This record gives sequence, structure tokens and C-alpha cells, in this order.
Amino acid sequence: MYYVAKVDSSKCSEYKCNMCTLYCPEANTLMYDEENKTSWVDEDRCKGCAICVYVCSDLLDRNCIEMAMVSTED
Amino acid sequence: MSVDIYKINPEFRDIMPKDIIDLEDNATWHATATKNRGISDLPDKKEILEEHSLCAGCPEAAALRYILTALPIPEDTIIVNSTGCTSLMFPHIALHTVHSLFGNQNAVASGIKRTLDWRFPDKTKDVIVLAGDGATIDIGLDYTLQSWFRQEKITTICFDNEVYANTGGQESGSTPKGQVFKMAPKGKVFDKVPMWELAVTSGCQYSVKLTASAPKKVAKVLREAVLVARELGPTYIHLYTPCILEIGLAANEGLWEMKEQDKERFESFRYVSPEAEEYLKECKAKGIL
Repeated sequence: MYYVAKVDSSKCSEYKCNMCTLYCPEANTLMYDEENKTSWVDEDRCKGCAICVYVCSDLLDRNCIEMAMVSTED
Repeated sequence: MSVDIYKINPEFRDIMPKDIIDLEDNATWHATATKNRGISDLPDKKEILEEHSLCAGCPEAAALRYILTALPIPEDTIIVNSTGCTSLMFPHIALHTVHSLFGNQNAVASGIKRTLDWRFPDKTKDVIVLAGDGATIDIGLDYTLQSWFRQEKITTICFDNEVYANTGGQESGSTPKGQVFKMAPKGKVFDKVPMWELAVTSGCQYSVKLTASAPKKVAKVLREAVLVARELGPTYIHLYTPCILEIGLAANEGLWEMKEQDKERFESFRYVSPEAEEYLKECKAKGIL
């Protein structure tokens, strides 16, 4: 059981701001899908620091990312 | 677009993981005809840093992403590293890096730069030093200052987290006065060493102090510093990347801390020598900045 970031792509694609992808401390983890115009998370690499949530919710007030608990069986 | 530094043997291509193939096909290697490489590559290109072992939410890791993605010519860049948290990331970078003894990073870089200039007189080669505040300001202060006195053409970057973080939290020369750490219970007695000012006094052509809170600014400063170092002489970047663990912040508070310090201890400082100013103007006109 561990925390990872989950992006609500329908909400995210309204803004297409790309800001969260810049602030993630992990490389190649929070990426941007040019085709669907949304950010997405490689959950195997996410360490669950929630900086993206701080950027999306606290700084930009867009609330497109939230942390979710996943288990290794998922 | 890929470069010759990184080629997969065609025989093994079919069994290679996607991450490795991406490194050849879609990595942020070098500039295209229309665009310099930079921060805008981060969202959808493969980075040359991968799965590092730093703590969740470490601002240092974010700063390294910005620096690696802003290097003008990564395939012809050598990064010299020293002991510290940063050295944990270096085995995960797809570039030439050198790790030497604690503190002698600027001396090693001087030698590498001189040898490269002699061995490849027609090619541009960048040598960058990337070390923590312990290596730059305490243990390697002698080597760092001496390399500046000698006007070596290298860029020195200090990732300042104001503490010896991965040995449990001892105070460093860069720790602000009064700061208490687990291994420094009485609080620091002396002031923080103003390394960015020492850089100016010691002959750096370019010295900037900033936090890693603004990715585009970090990338711009790095590019300027590398270009100036190539032509004129030593350059210095003092970058605040707090250790969230040692100052008692949560994993998601590193960015907030850097934004706070933008107004206080790490208020922007920028020195550019008149020659460097002139040279940067030329670079801008040519479109390489």
C-alpha cells in the first residue's frame, strides 16, 4: 500500500497548463500527453510527495490531481 | 533525435526495455534547427536522468532535472561531482560524469577542461562542477577559490541545502546563524558564508544566487553561465535546494519553502562582468541563448 498521484484527465484537459510536470522532482514520472492534452502519472515511479497537488490545488486552484492509495495487487 | 553518445547495438534492440529505446529515440539530447533544448522538453520527452534514489519531494532532484535539461550540448558536457546527496543521482544520469574525492571537484574539473582543450582544440566541450554546500563551501573551499583565481573556464554550481544532510544533519559553513539541527543542537554560532560574493571577489565572470522555485529561471541562468564559462572564465551558480527532511518539512513543502526564501535569505543576487554582459548580448543576437 502506498500513495501515488492520480490526474483527473477530463478536468486537466480543460486547462492544458503543464505546470505540474515541471515541478515533479522525479524524472519521467509526471508526463504530458500531447494527444489527449492531459498530464498523466507513471504510478510505478511516483514516490507520493504530492508536490504536484500543491502546484495544482494550492498555487493554481485547479484541483485536477489528488493522492490515492494503491496496493501492489492493483 | 539522438546522438552518437548513446546507441543500442542493433542485435539487441528487440530485447531492450522501452526506457532504453526511448533514450535513443526520444530523449532531450540536443537542439533542433528551430528550437534550443530546454525546460519545454520536460513534459513529453525522455529525460537523461532516471529513477534516482533521493527522498520523495526533494527539491534537489527537481533542480537537477532543470539543469540537465538546460545544458546547451549534453553530449559534449562533462559533469564533475562531489560527495553528498547529489552524488546519489549521478549513477542515474546518461552523461559523462566524474566523481572524485570529497572537496577536490574544482581541481579535477580544471584538469579535465585543460586536457579537453588540448585534445579536442576544434570542438566545444563544457565542464560543469556540481556539488553540495559542504563540498563547495567547507571541504573544497580552497580548490574552488583557487580555480577561480586561475580563471579556469568551468561552471561551478552549488546545490545549497544549508546542512550536511546525508550524514545526519551537521551544520555547514552555509548554515544560517542560529539554525539548530539534530547533530548541531546548540545552534550555529557564525553567519552564513556569502559564497556568491566570494565568487565575485575571486574573479568569477558571472555569479548568481537563486532558489530552484522557478524552473525557467534556473534553466536560463545555467545556459548563461555555461556560455560565459566557455569563452571568458569561471562562473558560479548558488542554488537553494532545501533539505526538507532536516528542516522538518513534509514532502510536499519543498517548493513552498523555496518560494518563501526567494524573499529572504535567497533574495536574487546577480553579478555579470561587463565583458560577460557584452558576450551574452552577442549570444542573444545569434539565437544561442
